[in-house]
Amino acid sequence: MSKNFLEVKNVDFIVGGQTKVKNVSFSIQNEGDVICLLGPSGIGKTTILRTIAGLEKVNNGSIIINNKIVSSNKVHVEPEDRNISLAFQENSLFPHYNVEKNILIGTEKKSKKKKKINPKEIISFLNLKKILNKYPHEISAGEAQRASLARSLVSNPDLLLLDEPLSNVDQSFKEEIQVELKQLLSKSKITTIIVTHDSYEAFYLGSKCGIILNKQLKQFDDPYNVYHFPNSIEVVNFLNRGILIPAKVTSENSLENKDLGTIQGNFVKHYPNGADVKLLLQPEDLEHDDKSNLKLEVVDRKFRGTNFIYTLKTESNLQIPVFVHSHHIHQHEIDEKFGIKRPIHIDHIVCF
Amino acid sequence: MFSIKFNIWFLSSILISLLVIIPILTVSVSFFEETSRYFEILKDTFLFEYIFNSLSLLIGVLILTFVLGVGSAYIVSFFKFPGVNFFKWALILSFAIPPYIYAYSLFAFFDNYGTAFTILKNLFGDGEYNQHIPKFDGMFGLILSISFSLFAYVYILARSSFLYQSQNLIELGKNLGFSKFKSFYSIILPAARPAIVAGLSLVAMETLAEFGAVDFFSVNTLTTGIYNAWITFDDLAFANRISFFLLLFIFILFITENLSRKKAKYHLDSRGGFKQKEKINLSGYQSLFAFLFCFILFFLSFLFPLGQMLYWTIKFPENFFDINVINLLLNTLYLVGLSSLVLIVFALISNYGNRVSKNKTLNFLSTLSISGYAIPGVILAVAFITFIAWFDNTVIKSLGFFSIKKVFIGSILGLVIVYFIRFYSLAFNGIKSGYEKINLSVDESAYLLGYSKRKTFLNIHIPYLRNSLLFVVILISLEIIRELPITLVLRPFNFETFATTAYISASEDMLEAAAVPSLFLILIAAFFITISSKYILKENNE
Repeated sequence: MSKNFLEVKNVDFIVGGQTKVKNVSFSIQNEGDVICLLGPSGIGKTTILRTIAGLEKVNNGSIIINNKIVSSNKVHVEPEDRNISLAFQENSLFPHYNVEKNILIGTEKKSKKKKKINPKEIISFLNLKKILNKYPHEISAGEAQRASLARSLVSNPDLLLLDEPLSNVDQSFKEEIQVELKQLLSKSKITTIIVTHDSYEAFYLGSKCGIILNKQLKQFDDPYNVYHFPNSIEVVNFLNRGILIPAKVTSENSLENKDLGTIQGNFVKHYPNGADVKLLLQPEDLEHDDKSNLKLEVVDRKFRGTNFIYTLKTESNLQIPVFVHSHHIHQHEIDEKFGIKRPIHIDHIVCF
Repeated sequence: MFSIKFNIWFLSSILISLLVIIPILTVSVSFFEETSRYFEILKDTFLFEYIFNSLSLLIGVLILTFVLGVGSAYIVSFFKFPGVNFFKWALILSFAIPPYIYAYSLFAFFDNYGTAFTILKNLFGDGEYNQHIPKFDGMFGLILSISFSLFAYVYILARSSFLYQSQNLIELGKNLGFSKFKSFYSIILPAARPAIVAGLSLVAMETLAEFGAVDFFSVNTLTTGIYNAWITFDDLAFANRISFFLLLFIFILFITENLSRKKAKYHLDSRGGFKQKEKINLSGYQSLFAFLFCFILFFLSFLFPLGQMLYWTIKFPENFFDINVINLLLNTLYLVGLSSLVLIVFALISNYGNRVSKNKTLNFLSTLSISGYAIPGVILAVAFITFIAWFDNTVIKSLGFFSIKKVFIGSILGLVIVYFIRFYSLAFNGIKSGYEKINLSVDESAYLLGYSKRKTFLNIHIPYLRNSLLFVVILISLEIIRELPITLVLRPFNFETFATTAYISASEDMLEAAAVPSLFLILIAAFFITISSKYILKENNE
């Protein structure tokens, strides 16, 4: 008997006869854990949620919640009998009820669990007070999404599934909601799966992140590991937070690149001396140093508020991103030279 | 992938599809059956005339309804002038006047010593006015009668399309330096093309199916040919042969309309990218022209026939007492109530089935089952009788049962079945458009909140579809109140409606007596149109 709260074992996720994601296995260990599924649009993330909710059936593998099979090729527990709540990305509010009734309808759901969430608290935290008397067609997409989220939360489910829960929410309000949502989920101990295409959101909210690419669950790990130790080139390309540059392994803790020279650090995986590899270089791996003799040309500069990301061109035309704190005393204009501190040291060397 | 899973919605969809297929099959099979020698005579003499007249009528009506429908829709959608808010709904009141009542009014007004004569005499004293008063009968009168009665189909659909045309599209025309006229024919009109074509197709189908007005003006078309073959020559196979030609016509129209629409989307959705259009303020002559155009159209299409019928009712009050108005009203309401109930129950089952099963076979059956609207009432009625007679003779009698003819022919049951075939698309599409506004995720949210399918249907769907259901009932009522050929052919003995009473009086050359039932028919229909105008004009989204 498994100790995990949720187990997805070798499931093919299918919608309309088309396999969206193949042979997926992952688990949520404890009740109250929050995991995020990350991947580009249309990859099948929503299908995974719909299948777990019981809205799609399973032909291969099984889904087990609290040691009870809810989906397999033989068993299919109907959605209304699963005590799972899914907040849809699109407006799924009942069109003939106002927002308040739409939210409170969630509290009518029969649940064995003791009530954990107070609707008033949710309404206040999601800033819905002003629109309680309005009908779904009278509110914006962002408001509808928050109301839908509120309804899911107050229904007190065993498992909460959130499909791009903040995709329509204004950027200014998004971070605030993310913080409060995280606190709320943690306080109420509702096990949650969040689907998003925003890696920052996934890294912040999830204790584990699953990366779905090319019909497969490529990696399922802690957010830190997913970012710093991606297990495939596809994951690196999807996260798009660094580049792969050619290098040759020169010792147990160093490698050589034609443009950057020697790079030192700890290899995550062993490579023999002389091996040609692709080194993952992330923006925070290189340090700026005006006095350095390694100078590269600035081809782009992105201001991100707390930092700048400079894109530098090497002699062999590689474009390398470098992170600089935005309080750095001066800025470098495009076409200017930009110094890189030597020797280059990277904490963990990830190569492919 | 086609898969069949038998459940209640499958069975009901199959049943409805069978009902629609029966008349089509009957007509097709009958085409190859032997007929009396009348068909041979007809083939050499009148058949060409029937086809020629049907075509001439169709072309005349299409041109006139296009001009009236698109012209009025353009004026009320894009311009502000005195009375525009009144005209935008008043123009749909023309639906309350069936073509045959328009024909009676037109004839009565311009007839020798008719209403026009009386007006001139009262104004200018005795005179030889008859020779100066134009006569609107025959093909010309028929085209006018049908066009003024049906132009609202084009008006409603064109207006709805104009209303949802993106402001950006119109501003684009201004940016390109187009004049109002050039913007109209090079941007606005092409963008509304599918809506206009859909409106014209409905007009075309109704024109080809028109019976009362055609019969009144004694123009020989395929429809009257079918009726006469059955009534005059008592030859069902002969009637079915002519029906076959008419069905071919309709089939070609149906295909043309569907092909022209394809999946093209000619206007933007109301959410995102849609800017409310600002109407252009008209003043001076332009304003007067717009007002006069709409007023004359409203007058000719509604006030004129209403006035004529009212005038006769007042002038010949004895006719009022000759008919039993209460009885006619009860008969009409009985038919409306029973048919609406059956239509709505089946249309709800089918729509719900389509929604939850997402099955292609079911979808195909639904598409098939709504095609009954394209089949003229007279064909349906004659084909239904043919089928029942065949079924009775070959199946029922061979099994030794009693004849079922009386159960289905000349009975309310038969009448409701044929109404069902003819008007099922109204009920199905009306409910479907209501359902389309509810995201599927709404149902799924309900399931996840612990609602069963039954509870979702009763607590979520039905309350939300309430307005659509009401609108469907009104549409069905309007159609049944005005319906003539099916009621005429299949009604039980001594069972009359306002429409059949008016027709019988008119066909017995007692036009004045037709005025009372016609007036009641117009008033009831106008009442239904007024209460449903908000839905017909889609004002809630405006």
